[in-house]
Amino acid sequence: MKQAIKALSWATSIFWIILLLFTVTAVYSAFQIRPGFGDPSVSTSGDTLIVSLPFGLYNGGFYDISRFNITTVVSDSHGSKISSSSTFVATISKGENTSIIHNMSLNIGQMATSDLSFLLFNDSELNVTAILMLTYANAFPFEITANISMPWGAPLANMAIGNISITPFNSTHVRALVPLSFENHSYLEMSGTARLEVVDSAGNVVGEGATMFYAPSENRFETNVGVLLSASSAIIREVRLYFQTPFLTYGPVVVLIV
Amino acid sequence: MVQWWFSLFEYGSGKTFLRRMLPRIVKAVVIGLLYFVLLYVVPMFLVSQASEFAPELFSGYGQVVTMFAAVVIFFVVASQLTAGTIFQHAFNIGKALILIIFFVVALDGGIIKLDLNIVEGLPISITADLRVYLMMLIAIDLVGLAKSLLQALNFLSERAEKDLPQLQPAE
Repeated sequence: MKQAIKALSWATSIFWIILLLFTVTAVYSAFQIRPGFGDPSVSTSGDTLIVSLPFGLYNGGFYDISRFNITTVVSDSHGSKISSSSTFVATISKGENTSIIHNMSLNIGQMATSDLSFLLFNDSELNVTAILMLTYANAFPFEITANISMPWGAPLANMAIGNISITPFNSTHVRALVPLSFENHSYLEMSGTARLEVVDSAGNVVGEGATMFYAPSENRFETNVGVLLSASSAIIREVRLYFQTPFLTYGPVVVLIV
Repeated sequence: MVQWWFSLFEYGSGKTFLRRMLPRIVKAVVIGLLYFVLLYVVPMFLVSQASEFAPELFSGYGQVVTMFAAVVIFFVVASQLTAGTIFQHAFNIGKALILIIFFVVALDGGIIKLDLNIVEGLPISITADLRVYLMMLIAIDLVGLAKSLLQALNFLSERAEKDLPQLQPAE
């Protein structure tokens, strides 16, 4: 029994020393991890707005970082998910300096077809939940979650149809000038075609018009769209607008004419 | 009561008792001081240094260090004072069991969650899964518990052997 007790005494002492060394080196190593952040940039690809978040990570400790994963979930002020993006790095070895670019994608085209179309016309606050997961020293999984609020600028903010002026065109038609305006509060450059349909009180489309538009970021666009209407047209009830841009096809937007 | 106390250190006069106890008290004080420095002074210094670096992260650990040091020092001193008796082993077994509970409580069952608000308007939540580490601690403690149990068994068997009547050679 004495030999067994001796062996257990040695084992306990050795295990405690190993664990103590592991703890001290792991804590020391954790403080040797140096994160660095670059300037975020915004770009577009097709109908997708891409927010790039570059950052670097220097693992100056004694242990590897594995299963490094960043996930960003963008949701609107009501909590509806808009997009989710992930960046995964299998291993960041000890002594290694790793540069990572996390791309957060917002599909504007998809936004227009979903319940999130109000974001096309209204500025809002988007909630970004960033989740960083990693396993340190192959033993300690960590999860860091941060919630950030991000302002959202609507690409078709304050869209309005002004007072329609009607002038005689010929004996059978009149010419209606429809003032159309909106402000582009987004990072995107808005250019494309706006088509409009004029609907009378009976619900019939009595005239159509179209205009090209170009509104750089943080700029206002306004124009008068000429529409030929039948002279016998009843009272105009509404105008239906259809927008077509390289990254967005949306319509109709119904504007009631009082 | 007196019977029980003396059964700890075997019967004897008060003078003999003191003579037997004095070295143990001195040894317990020295070991207690050593453990105090190793388990309280040094870790508290490290925690205070770390707290300066990240106060929201480490300030809560002072209490854990104090509790850990108090538990270990109490059992080590008690074990030293009762050295050579079954109570020494009982204290060692008690220490191992209480440390297992302490580790589980101190590490929140292995999942530690911290909610920080270092930057205004940017709440950060950190979750550390230390279950592997907790298992290491418990495993080592269980080895220590097994050792203490074996020591107790060994002590009792040696005691029983000593109490057996000595066989005399037949004339």
